Amino acid sequence: MVNLNAVLLISFAMFSIGIAGVLIRRNALVILMCVELMLNAANLNFIAFARHSGSVSGQAFALLVMGFAAAEVAVGLALVVALYRKRDTVQVDDINLLKG
Amino acid sequence: MEHFIETIGRNMFAIFGVMALGGAAVVVASRSAVHSVLAFLFAMLCIAGCFLSLEAEFLGMAQILVYAGGIVVLFLFVVMLVEVSKAKEKEVFQLQSRYAIGAVLLGVAAFAAVFRKVIFGAASPQALVLRTDLAQGLDVAKQNAQAVSRGLFADYLLPFEILSVVLLVALVGAVVLAKTERV
Repeated sequence: MVNLNAVLLISFAMFSIGIAGVLIRRNALVILMCVELMLNAANLNFIAFARHSGSVSGQAFALLVMGFAAAEVAVGLALVVALYRKRDTVQVDDINLLKG
Repeated sequence: MEHFIETIGRNMFAIFGVMALGGAAVVVASRSAVHSVLAFLFAMLCIAGCFLSLEAEFLGMAQILVYAGGIVVLFLFVVMLVEVSKAKEKEVFQLQSRYAIGAVLLGVAAFAAVFRKVIFGAASPQALVLRTDLAQGLDVAKQNAQAVSRGLFADYLLPFEILSVVLLVALVGAVVLAKTERV
């Protein structure tokens, strides 16, 4: 027996940790991981509401979100690798080409 | 002793959830990227446990396969490729900590505003149901994978196909982005 409030609180805390990581960290890899954390918090909410409304749609959409997260991480990591080849860094502070 | 085990069984979701939060905190706070990836793996496994305790068995297993089997390995490869040489991280954290704290507080306010009714109201779990034409010959509450697949392919076939196209584009795009310049 799982309380809906507990799920919402935990997924909210996980989303906050993800946002804080994206804003605070400098390493592009860690930033990507924090984006994944936020997507997982959203998935947790999808499943919790699916469980509390008796509808199967939430679980179906959580599966779709999982697929999109995989696509996003593949492209993001390819970008990081390309960036490392060109600029020899993965610290987002060192990537300021558009600054002028 | 039996009482203790029963208590743990009832609070399985909270245990997994708190462990996942701990893993997420280590992802953000740890200095080395390899430690971050390992903590990320731990958090993903704990979230799979959360899914299982929310009776989404198929998604729990898919979470383990996709994240522990695919994404974490991908992250580890890139960390090995990138981080071995002079991982010169002058300071771990950026100066935007102020903005981060502000964003989290804003999130708390928005969360409280949206979920005020849900948090303080009573909500009880309900067993999964499918439309009667979809649920023929299926024990929806027990056969989670079959129920999810019937719901997915009946009502959400178009998003599923779009997802397959997106995955194909991501595959080609990742190869093109990551390949070396010389042919």
